Amino acid sequence: MMSASDSAIASIRERPDQPRRALRDWFAFDQNTWLTNYVQSCVGRIVLLLLFTLFCSQTFGFVLSLGFTTAAAVCAYCPRFRTISLFSATLTILMISPSSRVALHAILSIAQREHISQALGIRAVYLAIAGFFIGSFIVITVARHCKTWVLARRPVMTLLATVSLLCGVAASSILHGLAQVALWAFIIVMVSYLWFLAYALVDQRTREPSPALFQLGTFHPFWGSTTVPFGKGAAYLRKTLSKTRQDLAVTQIKGLKLLTWALMLQYLESGLSWLFNTAWILPNLNDLQTLYVQGQAYSIASAWGALIWTTADSALHLAVGGHQVIAIARLAGFRLPRNTWRPLEARTIAEYWNRYYFYFKELLVDFFFFPTFLRVFRKHPRLRTFFATFMAAGVGNAVFHFFKDIQIVAEVGLWNALISFESYLFYCFMLALGISISQVRMNRGIKPSSSRYAIVWSFLCVWGFVLCLHIFGDESRNHSLYERLSFMASLFGFN
Amino acid sequence: MQAQDKDKLRVFLKSCLEENGNHEPLNDDDSLFMSARLDSLDLTNLVIFLEQTFGVNFAKVMFEVEMIDSINEIESFLDQQ
Repeated sequence: MMSASDSAIASIRERPDQPRRALRDWFAFDQNTWLTNYVQSCVGRIVLLLLFTLFCSQTFGFVLSLGFTTAAAVCAYCPRFRTISLFSATLTILMISPSSRVALHAILSIAQREHISQALGIRAVYLAIAGFFIGSFIVITVARHCKTWVLARRPVMTLLATVSLLCGVAASSILHGLAQVALWAFIIVMVSYLWFLAYALVDQRTREPSPALFQLGTFHPFWGSTTVPFGKGAAYLRKTLSKTRQDLAVTQIKGLKLLTWALMLQYLESGLSWLFNTAWILPNLNDLQTLYVQGQAYSIASAWGALIWTTADSALHLAVGGHQVIAIARLAGFRLPRNTWRPLEARTIAEYWNRYYFYFKELLVDFFFFPTFLRVFRKHPRLRTFFATFMAAGVGNAVFHFFKDIQIVAEVGLWNALISFESYLFYCFMLALGISISQVRMNRGIKPSSSRYAIVWSFLCVWGFVLCLHIFGDESRNHSLYERLSFMASLFGFN
Repeated sequence: MQAQDKDKLRVFLKSCLEENGNHEPLNDDDSLFMSARLDSLDLTNLVIFLEQTFGVNFAKVMFEVEMIDSINEIESFLDQQ
């Protein structure tokens, strides 16, 4: 009988019951007994680590890759030092390259406007980071012992309210010079780590929360992340940590496979990029919309080509980055599901949402869907599901992205920041509508047919929806909603 | 939680797993959601099942997925309600 951990590993983003196709059998290295035993040996571990370093260095360079591999190895092979190694590695990357974690350019731009030198601006950033981490440590410790505290009971609302309040003070021009720069630095740092802190605070409500130092180690962990926590928080990492040497070996081999796949996708992206951007000189979507607004002519074919390529490139880019992050986390021993998992196979919009950006979907489910679902319309199941899904994919999505780019408030003021967000708001609304309807249909048991015609039709419907929505979903804020709607109409021949 | 209620719960969870194409045996201490064996859609179905079968009001509980992540944890959660 398979142990719980074996079955859990088998279910990592796979469907073990379906008859394995020949190609998948060929690549099922993690099921190979000799290989899993070899990877548990000293020599096998060294070979594994060397391969990881080699493959990572294609993207990150040798030194950084060696750092990742070393930190992951200590996490995986030295459980006693896991907490300190996780925290140290995460902090080291932050100190060496704060711009990889925080919008450093935005803070320096604010410093320049306030006539503060760049050196002082950078010091303000480090001070803000230190202040945030110390503050988080205190807050996590207090929340663990005082579960009725508002930050413990309502972490997301409290954190968002705090950021809003601080933004209000910053935007009101009460402060000037270095004080203003320091305040904006703290706001921007806080927003970069907001959802990590939210997961940490939620973990304090569990029976055995992880120590505060471990929690801080998961704040933009060394294996990588975006503003969305990849691996969620400490609670999820605890559950997905490999429990036996065999588990660890299988997880690490899966990590290496994923890293190899990420490398292949990266080369594919480079090749396609050369083909579309250099050989065929296809304009990108943003430039094409600018041409449209300026009244310059272009063919509908090139417009559709630009839209398809831009959307495909975004998906590839997300997949490559996500796979690299998860691969390194798996090397560290965490059996995390992939962030992007065969999005082209999505049969419904709700399924696409689950496959395209898994950890963002989980964040919205954890902090927006379930709090709503558990409280409203309990006697009306369809309305309940629809509304909760809408709150997550619509409202939660909009809130997440508005706060993610909060530095725009510093650049253009609150009102202009809201106005320029209108297109993304429309995107959130339409996406939420699509997912909500799809989710309600799934709950009612309406499933797409498995015929080949139905599979093709599902693909066209889902990705047709995604393509059209992509016009509104880019976060550049370069074009108004009206301009984007007009541009979309032009794709169908309406000018 | 009575034995027949536990059986009802087991049957429900097995049907959720089979819907996901997972036919592995289900032990009482197996992680359901944190291990990604079941997803958030299944979690909503489980919440509805517990509300309708056992009269749980999740709005009054500081809900965490960990509370209902395995059959044993669900039993413990229901015993506390």
